[in-house]
Amino acid sequence: MFKYFKIAWRNLWRNSRRTIITSSSVFFGVFFACFMTSMQRGSFENMIGNMARFYSGYIQIQHPDHKETPSLNNSLLLSTELEEAISKNNDITHYQKRLETFALASNGEKSFPAIIFGINPQKEDKKSSLSSKVEKGKYLENNENALMIGKVLAKNLNINIGDSLILFGQGYHGVSAVNLYRVGAILDMPVPELNKSLIYMNLPDCQEYCSVNGQITSVVLMVKNTNKIKSVEASLKPFENENTKIYTWDELMPEILNLIEGKESSSAMVKSLLFMIIGFGVWATIIMLMHERKRELAVMIAIGFQKTALIFMMLIESFLIGILGILGGLGVSYGILYYLYKNPITVVGEMAETYRSMGFEPKIMFSISPEIFYNPAITVFVIFLLVSLYQIFFVAKLKVSTSIKS
Amino acid sequence: MNVIEIKNLTKIYNSSEVQVKAVNGISIDFKEGEFTAVVGPSGSGKTTFLNMLGGLDRPTSGDVIIGGVNIWQLSSRKLIDFRKNNIGFVFQSYNLIPVLTAGENVEFIMQLQGKPRKERDIRTKELLEAVGIGERIKARPSKLSGGQQQRVAVARALASKPEFILADEPTANLDSTSTTSLLELMSQMNKKYNTTFIFATHDQRVMDKARRIVTIEDGKILSDEYFDRD
Repeated sequence: MFKYFKIAWRNLWRNSRRTIITSSSVFFGVFFACFMTSMQRGSFENMIGNMARFYSGYIQIQHPDHKETPSLNNSLLLSTELEEAISKNNDITHYQKRLETFALASNGEKSFPAIIFGINPQKEDKKSSLSSKVEKGKYLENNENALMIGKVLAKNLNINIGDSLILFGQGYHGVSAVNLYRVGAILDMPVPELNKSLIYMNLPDCQEYCSVNGQITSVVLMVKNTNKIKSVEASLKPFENENTKIYTWDELMPEILNLIEGKESSSAMVKSLLFMIIGFGVWATIIMLMHERKRELAVMIAIGFQKTALIFMMLIESFLIGILGILGGLGVSYGILYYLYKNPITVVGEMAETYRSMGFEPKIMFSISPEIFYNPAITVFVIFLLVSLYQIFFVAKLKVSTSIKS
Repeated sequence: MNVIEIKNLTKIYNSSEVQVKAVNGISIDFKEGEFTAVVGPSGSGKTTFLNMLGGLDRPTSGDVIIGGVNIWQLSSRKLIDFRKNNIGFVFQSYNLIPVLTAGENVEFIMQLQGKPRKERDIRTKELLEAVGIGERIKARPSKLSGGQQQRVAVARALASKPEFILADEPTANLDSTSTTSLLELMSQMNKKYNTTFIFATHDQRVMDKARRIVTIEDGKILSDEYFDRD
């Protein structure tokens, strides 16, 4: 084994320039693939995280008809057994009962549509650090009869802290829902769409406003990490009935999932092209390398080297080229991406506006999920496996007597 | 005692329109310790003959029996193992493994044979000293002259303690001094280890050293003569 490795290693440096160029192509391929995926995945994770924290949660419990018809008539009463199961599940970090409704928010002659969330302010703060988003005023206390509204909505309504805001809407079973509330805080949310329409109030106030009797429209669950979503969902599935259904974030926001899948498939095409170019480059190197050594390989077989051993030795050599590139690419990209993960790039100027208009926080976020690194490594490994088929074929078909004379 | 028995060996190349009989029914024996030159004009079939003898080129028909084994009845794997343990090769272009030192080139075949480290070291040193380049044991082939490389090739061929050594035009790339000294060396090795040497050559100086000369023309043996060189 060692003798094969020794010869392969020395062969690698016979034409050091070629080895360095080939390894570099692998290095840059791995690096760019990691960088591109990390940036894209980081943005998506941030977007999903923001939406989950401030809106949907990773898992939601709703009335089965509420998703299609988000009306108060499709609200639910949370059963004691289900609430107990939620509070006992260690993978659920927070849960929050919520009543969600729509209304027209009005101040003077100005009216704008708004989405109202009845929440428990303390629990919401634990879930999403909502208090950190307060731009003006004071974060809502439990049982305080006041509103927190998004800053764009406040600007549009020309309303400030301490001002009164009228909410017109429809309550349970069609009753009118109208009330006057004091604005206690103005929020700057990281999801621009929410800034335009969001209103928070205490859950009991919201239930009173909507004339519901303890019902809620959803229970929002946060989990330890996104890998736990499926297992938590599975643990709660047995509690589903005609009044209760469990949803994951991607079921609740299919448009985001579609957007992610669309972007990921276009980036997969770019990456495939990148790896195809690398693959052909590596193949060209291997063809050159095999033809250059045709006579040498024939001599080795002539003096007693088995073809299988020779193939093994050649594979070690080509895989060493790949491993040098892969390890270099992974090492450098992990270092850079880890730094960027901890220190996201803040986008300013017109670009920031573009980000906001698309519903993104104006920050270039990066992810360091393990698959970002092992996927390109596996892809390159597969490329080398495919190229090695050529090496196997070449050695298997090598005619010793004529190759020695070549 | 016969080391090699060749019976009715034939090799036919099928080119696009004509069949070429490169070797045409040769039968011959080689005895232990012989120092034989196979001579003939270019295209006479001597290299093809040597390749079939060495298990490198499959004959169209006929048998090559070495130490009682009909080598062309062996599987490819067993044939490679057979070559490793029974046949030494010296090529025209030396054909050393360029990334291995002179010592490692000689030792390599013993490594393939699975010989222990200590035995390999002793024999490598002994052989390189015997061929006169013991002090260049750590030199890579690119740092050796053509003559020195061919000496290493001879040492490599002897390393596996083969039944016989096949040398195809071993002096073709060497100057006159290197040729004389290489022939002297091979003659010494032949006597010292009683190893059978078979050369394919055009070189008169090789013929002058050979104790047996087999002349081939058009794939057939034209003459087979013995000489007393002592």
